[in-house]
Amino acid sequence: MFAYSWLILLLPMAGFIGLSWWGNRLPRSGVGLVGCGSIGGAFLVTLVVLADMLLLSPDQRVGNVVTLYPWIASPHFQLDLAVLIDPLSVFMLLVVTGVGFLIHVYSIGYMQDDPEYSRFFAYMNLFIFSMSLLVMAADFFFLIVGWALVGLASYLLIGFWTEKTSAVLAARKAFVMNVIGDVGMVIAAFVVFQYFGTLNYVDVFAKASTTFSPNDDGVLLITLLLLVGAFAKSAQVPLHTWLPDAMEGPTPVSALIHAATMVTAGVYLVARCNSLFMLAPYTMYLVAGVGVFTAIFAGSMALVQFDIKRVIAFSTMSQIGYMFLAVGVGVFSAGMFHLMTHAFFKALLFLGAGSVIHALGGEQDIRKMGGLRHAMPITFWTFLVAALALSGFPLTAGFFSKELIIMESYHAELGNFLFWGLAVLGAGLTGFYTFRLFFYVFMGSSRSPGAHPHESPMVMTGPLLILGSLSLLGGVLGPWAHEFLSPVFSGVIPLHHEDALLESITVGVALGGIATAVALFMTGKDRLDFAKQMLAPVYDVLIHKYYVDEIYDFFIVKPVKAVGAFMEERAEKDGIDFAVDQVGAQVREVSRGISIWQSGSVRLYAMNMVAGLVTILLFVIFL
Amino acid sequence: MDTDFVLFVSAAIFSIGAVGFLIRKNPLVMFMSVELMLNSVNLLLVGYSKALASLDGQIFALIIMTVAAAEVVVGLAIILTIFRTRHDLNVDHINVLKG
Amino acid sequence: MFEILEQAWAFNLDRETVFGLVEQSFVFVVGMTAILASLGVILCASPIYSALYLIGNMCCLALLFLFYNAEFLAAVQVVVYAGAVMILFLFIIALLGAKKEERDSSFEKLMGMGFVALLFCELLMALGVGFTRPMEGQATEDAIATVGSAKAIGMELFSHHLIPFELASFLLLVAAVGIISLAKFSYRPIRKRTRV
Repeated sequence: MFAYSWLILLLPMAGFIGLSWWGNRLPRSGVGLVGCGSIGGAFLVTLVVLADMLLLSPDQRVGNVVTLYPWIASPHFQLDLAVLIDPLSVFMLLVVTGVGFLIHVYSIGYMQDDPEYSRFFAYMNLFIFSMSLLVMAADFFFLIVGWALVGLASYLLIGFWTEKTSAVLAARKAFVMNVIGDVGMVIAAFVVFQYFGTLNYVDVFAKASTTFSPNDDGVLLITLLLLVGAFAKSAQVPLHTWLPDAMEGPTPVSALIHAATMVTAGVYLVARCNSLFMLAPYTMYLVAGVGVFTAIFAGSMALVQFDIKRVIAFSTMSQIGYMFLAVGVGVFSAGMFHLMTHAFFKALLFLGAGSVIHALGGEQDIRKMGGLRHAMPITFWTFLVAALALSGFPLTAGFFSKELIIMESYHAELGNFLFWGLAVLGAGLTGFYTFRLFFYVFMGSSRSPGAHPHESPMVMTGPLLILGSLSLLGGVLGPWAHEFLSPVFSGVIPLHHEDALLESITVGVALGGIATAVALFMTGKDRLDFAKQMLAPVYDVLIHKYYVDEIYDFFIVKPVKAVGAFMEERAEKDGIDFAVDQVGAQVREVSRGISIWQSGSVRLYAMNMVAGLVTILLFVIFL
Repeated sequence: MDTDFVLFVSAAIFSIGAVGFLIRKNPLVMFMSVELMLNSVNLLLVGYSKALASLDGQIFALIIMTVAAAEVVVGLAIILTIFRTRHDLNVDHINVLKG
Repeated sequence: MFEILEQAWAFNLDRETVFGLVEQSFVFVVGMTAILASLGVILCASPIYSALYLIGNMCCLALLFLFYNAEFLAAVQVVVYAGAVMILFLFIIALLGAKKEERDSSFEKLMGMGFVALLFCELLMALGVGFTRPMEGQATEDAIATVGSAKAIGMELFSHHLIPFELASFLLLVAAVGIISLAKFSYRPIRKRTRV
């Protein structure tokens, strides 16, 4: 029924292959056309899949496995080349291909002057392919394949500007962190296979409740190992340090990979494996706890950063923390809905930031910006919409999704007051740092008089406008999303709790954050400096990102390097190298001795043969 | 039919061929010695073919002849090539492959 | 052989025995001639004589084949071996010049001859072993005589031994290709590290 859904994978793959092979021979317009066309095609196919799915009744929508062919068929292990089409994967595909398409279009303008235009689009198509594979996979095997491939695409794109040392180092860091997660995923798959004898989602989830009782060792092990992968990919504490550095890549990459799609894969994973996670309430507490902690932790770091993209990156971590909080307290569809609205407004923020950076010729320090609202009106307005949505301003898309999460963190079965309080605090932080950024960049007067900012071309502002309207109005999709996704999550639809007190506190705190930012913007400079001095220790800790990098460096990198140096000296040079050299030297010596037999004289060779014949015959006759 | 005579003649010719290969310096004569050795084996095969009343020996002899013909042709071509490049046919002087 | 000689010695002769005696002596003479001819091959200083002795050796072997019921192989031996292959040898000798080889004796040669003498002794030890297998084949003298030697070999060759036959044809093809490549490409003379 959904056989054509393979096109969603094939189109980006074809784009990737075509652009890698013939990209340099195509004109720039052709490259852009191929790059965006393949993703646009995938998006259209996704829409058709969605339409087909809406025609089905809700209980028919789950478990549609489209098998291309059985790949490995052995008595003990069966693996099909198959995709799973159900509301969750379609929902994710809508975000991936839809937002991905807009960002591709935006990239045409943003990367216009880059010499390696076609390589960029090839990598972007590879990313969309990998991400689609990740969300469409029908078993853990292809999930891991997609999981690793998005890590690869992320690595390639963070380090896209290979001449920048910092970009290459950041790419390496991201890759290493992601591989830690991949290892967790692979071990998780092994454990799954050991318990269930299969890797198929459908079989595993169907058997889960009969195989395990709640909080069994096995299910805890599986879910915790899956979480290693999820946390690494989604930049949650303690595996979060790669995401801020990943901002070295081109801005559309940050928007696509490190805001809208790839980093939310961890949330998708938890939602996908909801039947396993529901059997492991301890793990769920861990998910929610880490999520809400990251929300606060990253939000506080965002308060003091001066790099426009890093602020948004910390904000991304914080928002993903909210999503983990949602799935951790068991309201999966709320998490997924926040994933979608977040994809809208965070992609919009990044693209707006990219537009600003583009206009200022690569400047990323917000202290050198300011007063851009007149020069770039479209960017200004869309950025404002995104900032409001991010801070949860009433009636924007972010308001509906975040509000729901915060309310559920108290009212849901697994929720409690602590989660709620921290989530509200995080909402306040969000409002503050978002508008701090906003005021720095767009309000006041320009702080770098030499610059002549200009509005970006239509190909860049078009996606901004579309994403802006989605961020503004996406909230109306909420009820539909919950109802659409409910078959996957065993019919659970989060209730809208009528709790005026908590709700007003939440909104109040969020608005309070915004108001604080406004107030600080209005106050004079000397008071700001005074506040800075008063809070100097805190400020210091925050601007160094809680010294996490330094702690990792001291406790992990330095010891490993020391061990490595020791091993190089002792094991490598004195052990392996020495042994190898000695083998070579001894072989040379011995063969020099033997080589007198190789006289080059035919007669001697023949004589050796006869001697050998004589000896063999002696053996045959007498033994 | 007694096979002792066949065995004796064949062993004698084989040994003579081996000696010829070892003591001669002219590669052509060395090749002829190889032919002698092959022929002695043919004789043995044919003789035993009769003794055992089986045609397999003759078939083997036939195939040995084919191999010998191919070998002679290639060998002579190699000798010709060596002669063309060196103008010298003494095998003791051909020791380029000394290790 | 020796029983017949004993019978002859005892003048215990009849017609069959006389025929057998004549045939045995003929085989004996031809075999000894073959050995002498092969000695001639390796002892003549000039390659021309070696080649002629080799032809003689092959003709003797062909005669022996006739006695051993291998008429077809005898014909092949004469036509292909004594004819074509030896003519090829003679051509090459004519082309390269039939220089006489100077005689010398060295320790290596003596050692080689010693090895070969040992080998000869070992081969003769097979005489002591004698027959180990019973006569079990179907191709007796009479059976071959009914169909003819060539036909019998052909039937055998194209039924039981088809794969070796095809492989032999492939070998000939490879040899032809090898010769063409040897003849086609010229080589620069190699002078390096040559002891003169």
